[in-house]
Amino acid sequence: MARKDTFKALLRRGIDEATADKLLQGYSSITDIAAASAADMVALGLTEAQAAEVSKLLGKAKKEGVKKAEKKEAAPEPVKKTEFQRVVKARPLLPMEEKLNKLLSDIGKFLPRRVVVSLAERLDGVDLSESKIKEILLKAAEKYELHKMDANESAGILAAQSIGEPGTQMTMRTFHYAGVAEINVTLGLPRLIEIVDARRVPSTPMMTVYIEPELAGDVDVVRKVASRIEKTTLLDIADIETDIANMKVIVHPDRSKLEQKGITEEQIVERLNKDRRLRGQVALVQDEEDKDRRLIIISSEEASFKKLQGIVQATRDAVIQGLDGIERAILRNQGGEYVIYTAGSNLREVLAEEHVDRKRTTTNSIQEIYDVLGVEAARNSIIHEASRTLGEQGLTVDIRHIMLVADLMTNDGDVKAIGRHGISGRKSSVLARAAFEITATHLLHAALTGETDDLDGVAENIIVGQPVTLGTGAVNLVYVPKKRPKEASE
Amino acid sequence: MMRGVSKRIGSIKFSALSPDEIRKMSATKVITADTYDDDGFPIDMGLMDPHLGVIEPGLRCKTCGNKVDECPGHFGHIDLAMPVIHVGLVKEIKKLLQSTCKTCGKLLMTKEEAQRKAQEWELMDDLGGDAIDYRLLAKGTAKDASKNTTCPHCGQEQGKITLDKPTTFREDGHKLTPKEVRERLERIPDEDLPPLGIDPNSCRPEWMVLTALAVPPVTVRPSITLESGDRSEDDLTHKLVDVLRINQRLRENRDAGAPQLIVEDLWELLQYHVTTYFDNQTSGIPPARHRSGRPLKTLVQRLKGKEGRFRSNLSGKRVNFSARTVISPDPSLSINEVGVPYEAARELTVPVHVTKANIEVLKAMVKRGSNPPLEDGRYAPGVNYVIRSDGRRMKVTDRNAEMIADGLEIGYVVERHLMDKDVVLFNRQPSLHRMSMMAHTVRVMPWKTFRFNLCVCPPYNADFDGDEMNLHVLQSDEARAEAMILMRVQEHILSPRFGGPVIGAIHDHITGTFLLTHKDPKFDKQETLSILSKVKHDHLPEPVVVDGKEYWTGHQLFSMVLPKGFHSTFKASICRNCAVCKKEECDLDAYVKIREGKLITGTIDEKAIGSFKGKILDKITRDYGADAAREFLDNVTKLAIGAIMVRGFTTGIDDEDIPEEATRQINEMLKDSVRKVSEYVQAYRDGTLEQRPGRSLEETLEVEVMKTLGSARDEAGQIAGRHLGMENSAVIMARSGARGSMLNLSQMAGCIGQQAVRGERLSRGYWNRTLPHFKKGDLGAQAKGFVQNSYKSGLTPTEFFFHSMGGREGLVDTAVRTSRSGYMQRRLINALEDLKLKQDGTVRNTADMIVQLQYGEDGVDPCRSVQGDAVDIDDILAEVLGDDAEALARLEEKKVAGYATMEKDLMETIEEEEVEEPEYDAGGGGGED
Repeated sequence: MARKDTFKALLRRGIDEATADKLLQGYSSITDIAAASAADMVALGLTEAQAAEVSKLLGKAKKEGVKKAEKKEAAPEPVKKTEFQRVVKARPLLPMEEKLNKLLSDIGKFLPRRVVVSLAERLDGVDLSESKIKEILLKAAEKYELHKMDANESAGILAAQSIGEPGTQMTMRTFHYAGVAEINVTLGLPRLIEIVDARRVPSTPMMTVYIEPELAGDVDVVRKVASRIEKTTLLDIADIETDIANMKVIVHPDRSKLEQKGITEEQIVERLNKDRRLRGQVALVQDEEDKDRRLIIISSEEASFKKLQGIVQATRDAVIQGLDGIERAILRNQGGEYVIYTAGSNLREVLAEEHVDRKRTTTNSIQEIYDVLGVEAARNSIIHEASRTLGEQGLTVDIRHIMLVADLMTNDGDVKAIGRHGISGRKSSVLARAAFEITATHLLHAALTGETDDLDGVAENIIVGQPVTLGTGAVNLVYVPKKRPKEASE
Repeated sequence: MMRGVSKRIGSIKFSALSPDEIRKMSATKVITADTYDDDGFPIDMGLMDPHLGVIEPGLRCKTCGNKVDECPGHFGHIDLAMPVIHVGLVKEIKKLLQSTCKTCGKLLMTKEEAQRKAQEWELMDDLGGDAIDYRLLAKGTAKDASKNTTCPHCGQEQGKITLDKPTTFREDGHKLTPKEVRERLERIPDEDLPPLGIDPNSCRPEWMVLTALAVPPVTVRPSITLESGDRSEDDLTHKLVDVLRINQRLRENRDAGAPQLIVEDLWELLQYHVTTYFDNQTSGIPPARHRSGRPLKTLVQRLKGKEGRFRSNLSGKRVNFSARTVISPDPSLSINEVGVPYEAARELTVPVHVTKANIEVLKAMVKRGSNPPLEDGRYAPGVNYVIRSDGRRMKVTDRNAEMIADGLEIGYVVERHLMDKDVVLFNRQPSLHRMSMMAHTVRVMPWKTFRFNLCVCPPYNADFDGDEMNLHVLQSDEARAEAMILMRVQEHILSPRFGGPVIGAIHDHITGTFLLTHKDPKFDKQETLSILSKVKHDHLPEPVVVDGKEYWTGHQLFSMVLPKGFHSTFKASICRNCAVCKKEECDLDAYVKIREGKLITGTIDEKAIGSFKGKILDKITRDYGADAAREFLDNVTKLAIGAIMVRGFTTGIDDEDIPEEATRQINEMLKDSVRKVSEYVQAYRDGTLEQRPGRSLEETLEVEVMKTLGSARDEAGQIAGRHLGMENSAVIMARSGARGSMLNLSQMAGCIGQQAVRGERLSRGYWNRTLPHFKKGDLGAQAKGFVQNSYKSGLTPTEFFFHSMGGREGLVDTAVRTSRSGYMQRRLINALEDLKLKQDGTVRNTADMIVQLQYGEDGVDPCRSVQGDAVDIDDILAEVLGDDAEALARLEEKKVAGYATMEKDLMETIEEEEVEEPEYDAGGGGGED
C-alpha cells in the first residue's frame, strides 16, 4: 500500500497531519498502527496523549467490526510471518560467471547479471591473470555507474515518447504473414495499440505450440497433437446429404480424412449422440453400394421439415474433435523440430494436452496468459509481444521503455489498459483525469466525494501554472546570502 | 516580481456550492432578463450588472473598485422560483433515491449489513484504492441497499425509482417533482452518506437539486461590440437570459395561482434551460440554438475536449517571444545554430538587467532605438522596451531613444533585440519526442527564413518543401542555463529510444564521404585545398608523391576530422554480407578499420556517419563527449560537401539507362511470367491446380500468382542491376545509403511490378473485373494490376490507373496512421507522465507506488547504453588489455566465433529484408515523405 493512501486514510479517521506523518515513519498500514501499543507510538515522537488519541480513533474503528477485533484478541501470539521463497528460474551460473561474481564482491563492486554473463562468455578459455580480470571488472563497474540514469529523470515520459514516436512510421496493414503463410497475424500499429489497450481478445489470436523436446522431431506424434487440438467439425471430414423423401440425413465420412485426423466412425457417432438435438437418432450402417464404407444415418423422429433442418444444422456444426477456439493448426519444421502454429487460442486446454511442452508453448493473447499463468507471465508477455511488434517493423526501441510500460500496466496485480478505463482513469489527481478525457464527469464527482488534488503530478502542475516535480523541477536549491558582518551588526 | 523560489499551491479541494454559499458569495441578485438600457448602460440587477465585474476599459467595478484586468469578476445569483435538478448529477441522485428510504431517509440496510460495508471500506483504505475502486465500492453499496424493498428502520415499503432521461424521476410510474426529490434528499442523514461515496462536508445531497443558480462574472462571458455598434452577447449570457425569463414567468404564474398544468409546463421549461445551461449536449433533449441555428456553447462544452478549457487553455498556453516562419537549409551553420531573419530578431527580445558591467554597452543599444539600420551592412541589436526599477515599461522609439539611453540606471531592465549567441528553443510539430524541441544558438541573418544545418533534419523530421518551424526566446537566466545544459542540440545526438545517434549526416553528406573515401582516391593539391577550405585544420598531412606530384588520399583527408586516438572496426553500408568476410582485403572496400584516429581501410557511408546508424558518430559522442561530436559532425559535413563539389555529382533519368539487350531480356522474362500466370489460371479453371494445405483453391491461385509475379519483378531488377555499376550515381546513392534503394532503381529501370490493395491483387472496380478493358472474370496478370513497364519506359493507361490505386492506399494509410498513432501516444504520455526515477533507483508514480524496483532492471539510461547494453565490453577489453596485443587478438577471435555477434549479424540481414518487403506491395508509389 502506498504511503500516501495510508496517510489519507489516517486523516479520514480524524488524526491530524503531523501525527499521521510521525506514525508513518514507523508503520506502513493502518492495521499495524492499530495493533501498535501506546509505548511504541511514543517512541516515534508522539506525546502520550496523542498516542492515546490515535489508539482511541483507530480502536473505535476496530470495535465497530466486532468479529474482526475478537479474532485478533483470540490469536495474537502466533504471528506467523510468511516466508516468501524466491523462486530462481534463471539458469545456474557457469563456473566462469561464478568466478567473476566472486571477484566483483572482492573488489566491492556490482555489475548486472547480463554484463557478467557476456563478459564471462568472452573471457572464458582465454587465460588472463586474475589482476587483469579484476582490472577489467573495475573498468566495467566504473562505466556501469556512469551509464546509470540520473535521479528525478522523467523515465515515464521517455518511455512513452520512445514507443509512441515510431508509431507514425509503422504500417497500418492488419494482415501480414509471419513465418507461417497460412495464418494471418495482426502486426504493426494496430497490434501495438491492441497491446497497450489490454484487449481481452486480440483480433487475431494465435498460438505457438511446442512439443516436448524428445518427441518434437517425430512428425507423427506432432501431427497427432495438432489434429487433437484443431477444431474439426463433421463437415470437414464428411459429406452430408439430406434425404428429404425419407426424412433422413446421411453422412458419408471421408476415409482418408478420417485417417489423417485419427478419427473413427464410432467416435463420430459418439460425439453426435452427445448433441441434444441428435440424441438417439444416430445410427451407423454399412453402405449398400460399397461394402467397405460405412454411413451414418440420422433419422428424424418427427416428420417435420423444420426439425430436419435443425438436424442438418446440428450435424454440420458438430465438433468431432479439437479444442474450443483453435480454428486451424499448422505444422512447421523449425531447425529439426516440428512446431504447431494455430489460428485461434486456448492456452489452458492446450497446456493440458499430452506431449505439449508446457515451458515453451505460448499464445499472443495477453489476457489469456494472465488468466492461466498470472501477472508476471502477462508482464513478460507484454514485453515480448510489444518488442516483437516493433522489431518486425525494423524499429529499434530500447527494451527498458517497453518494460516500464509493461510494469505499469501490471503494477497492481492485474492487467490494466493504458487509457481512460485503465491507468489514466485511476490517477490520484482530479485535474489530471479531467484534462485527459470525460472532463465534466470527473469534476462533478470530485465535488461530491470532496476529493483533494495534491498537485504532485505533471498535468496538474501545468494546469495551475507552477513547475512540475520532475527533473530540474524536483529539486530546490535555495541560496540565502549571508549578511555582511557590517549589516549584521547594524 | 517574484523570481526563483516561489510559493507553491499545496493542494486543491473540490466541493459543491450550497445554495447558502451561492447567495453569500453573490455580489448581486439577478432578476431582470434585460441586459442594457436604451443608453447602452448595464441595468442594475441585470445580467451585465456592474457589480459582476468590468469588461469595458475605463470603467470601475462596483464591487471591488478595480479596473479591467485588475478586477477578477464577481459572482451573482438567480433565485430559482422552483427547484431544478442538476443534469450532471442525475445518476447520483438516482442512486441516492434508490438506496434510501422514502420516508425516514435512512440507508436501506440493516445495521449488520452496514457494518459489513463499513469493513469493506476500511479494508479498501488499508489496501489503498484509487478513484475507480472507491467509486465501484460506493456503487456496490448503493446496489445492495436498493435490493431491500422495505425499510429496515421504519418498515416503509419502497417504490421503484426510475429515471426518464435526462432529468425526470418516477416512482412506480408517478412523476416525482424536483421539489419532492429535494425533500427526500434532505432527509438522508449525514452518517449514511460516506458509504455511498459522498462526503457530507463537501456536498449535501439536497444541493444536487438547485434552488439558487450562480451567475458567473461578466469577465467569463464578455460581450463584444461589433463594428456596427451592435452588441453581441456571449452564449452563456444568452442562456442565462432564457433562464431568467422563464424563471420570472414561472414565479408570476405560481404566485397568481395559475392552473397546475401551466405551472408544471413552465417548470419543465425552466428545467430544460438550466439543463442546457450546464450541458448543451445532454442526450435526449434538443440542444439550445443560437438565432443563426448554431448550437450554443455552454458550461460543459467550454471545458470539454480538445478545444475545451482544460486541453486548450490550461494544459497548453499561448506565449509571447516566439516566432514562426518557413525553414531552409544552410550547411555553413553549425548543428547547434539557427539562422534568424533580421525582422524576427528585431521583434524578439531578451531582458537584460542593467549592471555596472554592462551599462555602457546597453546604453549604446538603447541609443540605436527599436529599428536601427544595418551598421556597415551588419546587424546591430537595438532595444524595444526599457523597464524602470519601479516596473514602468517605456517603449523605445526613434524620438526618445537618446533620452532613455541617457536616463538608463543600474537596476533597470532592457529588452534588447536578439543577437548572435543568444539561446533559443527551436521546435517543429508534431512534437513526438524530446528531440522535437532543442536549444540552438542564434545567428542573425538576412532574408526571411529560419535556417539550420541539415544534420538536424532527422530529429525534427523536417524537410524544406515548405515546412515551418517555431522559435521561442528564453526570458530568464534560469531557463537559459537549463536549456544550455539539457536541451542543446549536441546533448541530443544520442536518442533515448535506442541509444544511437538521431542527428547525423544525410543525403549529400553521405554521398560526399563515399566519394571521398571509396577505394581511397587521390586528390592533387588544388583539389585538396578546395575540399579542406571550410574544414577546421592547422596543417596538411604528409602527401603521397607520385611522379613528382603531391597527392593526398581520401582516407588521409577523412582522418583529419577524426578525434585523436579514435579506434573502430565495422562493416560499411555497402557491405554485401559475403559468406566469408575478407576483412581488409574486401573487394568492395566495405571493411572499415580505424586505428589511432586514422582511417586505414574502408568506405565512409551511412553506417559510419549517417543518422540512426552512424557508428563513428555513436562512438565519438560516447567517448569524447557531445561537444566533440558536434565538432566532428560540423567538420565531416563540410568535408563531404567539399568532396562532392570537387568530384561533381549528378543523377538523372539516364542513370537508369540499360542496354537494349537487357531490356529485351527483361521483356522476355516478363512475358514468360505472364504466360506462367495464365497457365496457373487455366489450371485453376480446369481444376488441376493443386490446393495448398489450409487454403481454398482461389487463395492458392492468388498465392502462386503473387509469388510468380513477385519473383518476376525481382528478376527484372536483377537483370537491370547487372548493368548498373558502382560508377552510376543513382547506384552510389542507393548503396551508400544516401537516398533511394536498389528497389527504387529496379522499378525505374526494370519493372514496377504487382500493384496491391490490402496485400492482395487488385480486384475491385467493375462487376467481376477491374476495368472494362478486360473480360469479366479475367484472372490474368495484366487484368489484376501487374505493371510490366518501368517508370522510365512509361505506363500504359490501365497500368497507370492500377498504379494510382496502389498509391491511393498508401496515402489513405498514412492519413489514418497519423491520427491513430497520435492518440496512442497521447494515452501513453498521459499514463506514464508522472513516473519518475527516485533517488533510491526505484521508479514511482505520484501516489508513491513503486512501479519498478530498479529502472529497466539494471538502472541504465537507454541514452547512455551501448545500443541497449549496459557497457561496451569490446571497449573495456581493448582499453585494459591495450598493451597486451596477443591476448586481445585471442579475444577478438572469440568474438568472431562467439554467439553474440553471430546473432547480431543475423539480425541485421533480416532487418534489411523486412524493410524491403512493404515497399514491394505499396508499388513504390511516392511513399517517401
